[in-house]
Amino acid sequence: MLKQLRALPYTKKKELYGFLFVLPWVLGFILFFAKPLFTSLFYSFQNMEMTPEGLSGTFIGWENFQYALFKDPAFIREATGSFVNMLYGVPLILVYSLFVAVMIKHKFRGRGFMRAVSFLPVIIASGVLMQILKEDVFSQGMRGGADSVYLFTGAGINGILQELGLGAQLIEIFNNVISRIFDLTWRSGVQVLLFLAGLHAIPGYLYEASSLEGARPWEQFWKITLPMLTPMMLLNIVYTIIDTFTDYGNGVILMIYNTAFSQVRFGYSSALAWLYCLLIAAFLGAVYLLLKKRIVYMQD
Amino acid sequence: MNAINYKKHIKRTRKTFTSIIRFALLAALAYQLLYPLLYMLSMSLRRPEEAMDPSVIWVPKGFTLGNFTDALRVMDFWDALQNSLIIGVGCGLLDVLSCAFVAYGFARFQFRFSGLLFTLVILTLVVPVQTIILPLYADMKYFDAFGIMQLTSMVTGGPDSISLVGSYWAFYLPSMLGMGLRSGLYIFIFRQFFKGMPGELEDAAYMDGCGPFKTFFTVMLPNAKNAIITVFLFSFVWHWNEFYMSNLLLGNLKKNFAIALSSLRVDLQSVVNVQTISDPLVIVTRIQAGALLAILPLFLLYLVTQRYFTDSIEHVAVK
Repeated sequence: MLKQLRALPYTKKKELYGFLFVLPWVLGFILFFAKPLFTSLFYSFQNMEMTPEGLSGTFIGWENFQYALFKDPAFIREATGSFVNMLYGVPLILVYSLFVAVMIKHKFRGRGFMRAVSFLPVIIASGVLMQILKEDVFSQGMRGGADSVYLFTGAGINGILQELGLGAQLIEIFNNVISRIFDLTWRSGVQVLLFLAGLHAIPGYLYEASSLEGARPWEQFWKITLPMLTPMMLLNIVYTIIDTFTDYGNGVILMIYNTAFSQVRFGYSSALAWLYCLLIAAFLGAVYLLLKKRIVYMQD
Repeated sequence: MNAINYKKHIKRTRKTFTSIIRFALLAALAYQLLYPLLYMLSMSLRRPEEAMDPSVIWVPKGFTLGNFTDALRVMDFWDALQNSLIIGVGCGLLDVLSCAFVAYGFARFQFRFSGLLFTLVILTLVVPVQTIILPLYADMKYFDAFGIMQLTSMVTGGPDSISLVGSYWAFYLPSMLGMGLRSGLYIFIFRQFFKGMPGELEDAAYMDGCGPFKTFFTVMLPNAKNAIITVFLFSFVWHWNEFYMSNLLLGNLKKNFAIALSSLRVDLQSVVNVQTISDPLVIVTRIQAGALLAILPLFLLYLVTQRYFTDSIEHVAVK
């Protein structure tokens, strides 16, 4: 047996080893992902009920899906809401985190402190804690405490923008951006981190060579930094999209969870989850296809 | 001579100008990010009566640690700490090992279906946990690995499934097989990282007669320090903060921090508010103290590893 293995041609052997490396994941995938996923697909065509003997379901075809798409007033609204949220979030988070990463890359006094502060969201801003913070910090503003002059309410700026003669739609977009700033900066810790790692991975000789040829920092940024960052950019875009869609406070996620565990409608909840998944997958696929050709990989 | 001096002067003013702008921007940023922390600290040191007092700005009039002692008691702090640490550290280490191993296979080997399998890795990230949470719970409750337990029970007459709910294995097992919390992302990170490493390293190891597994453990893994630290910190933090899965899978075990925090408001109301029926003011300061306590271990860990961690970001290039 072993001899046979040794005798395999090199490429075949490499294939086998590659598969051996991936094997643990394949097992985990089948056990903890594929099986539950198909069970939930099965549920989504059923009307699940809790009976004294346990869960039991009756097949009702597409009814759950039809109800979600055409009758349920909440689902479409929540889904569009989180989609719009994502459309605002992704570009802003990317630009913001790239900006911060570039600022804290070079040495200056207090850089260590700045770095520590800008990665803070990685530890803190997840899930439950964020919810508590939001509830209290934001409601503080409404109570009108003395330290409630929290920077980010767009109301004051509206007048100025109108004076400037911007259209109503532009002002609305602007307001949406401003009201999301707290949320966005607090959700971009991971992205800053990944960008910073990407920035440091760019070899220094590229900058040296280009500055010898007379390139200015501005040109270096567009012609070296940005193209070399594209793999990280892709990772960040994918991560940000998924993060905004599956956040703890996301409306659809809450709806799915509540439908299952407080209303005990397992079938309908599974159908909702499946619809939502397909939406995300389709969107991600489109983004990936769009960006795939623009990714620059370093060639040695 | 004068012209040179003039040029120097311009350069210097320009430099101070940019550093002033940078300082202003960074100061705004730091305030923005530190605001919630300072708010929590300020709130949790106040006496409950002062919570809504508009004349108290940041510094409380009377310092008190009473909020912390109350929160410690209500949250079962030490039990929660132990629980969160066992899950966080264990899953973090397992995630690093399994995901690096799998990612290396994806980064360096071409085999049949490798593209398809990697698409599936991304798919696991896209699907929200809520989609599979219910069947997953059932699987964990009646766990038989691929029917192996059922087979052995037919031969030996043992139980045909075991319940993983209420044991740490419910968290460790998925992590071991690279299917834990957001493991897809870790695989992605490791794959990008390994792809960026020069191929000469492995070629040298192959020349010396190492097999692929030995090459991975002796050459690739030690050189992936940066990715390892990043992934470990992510995994640790996310397991620490994760709510839905731990809520279902911890079972009879004591609660961890995420659960303690999410029920803190209700718990406080029932414990602290016995005599004065639901006075919101009593909760406000104590809930901030609790939140601060829950992130304190993370914060300390971060302070200790921060230097090492940010340093490691710079040393991506393999030497």
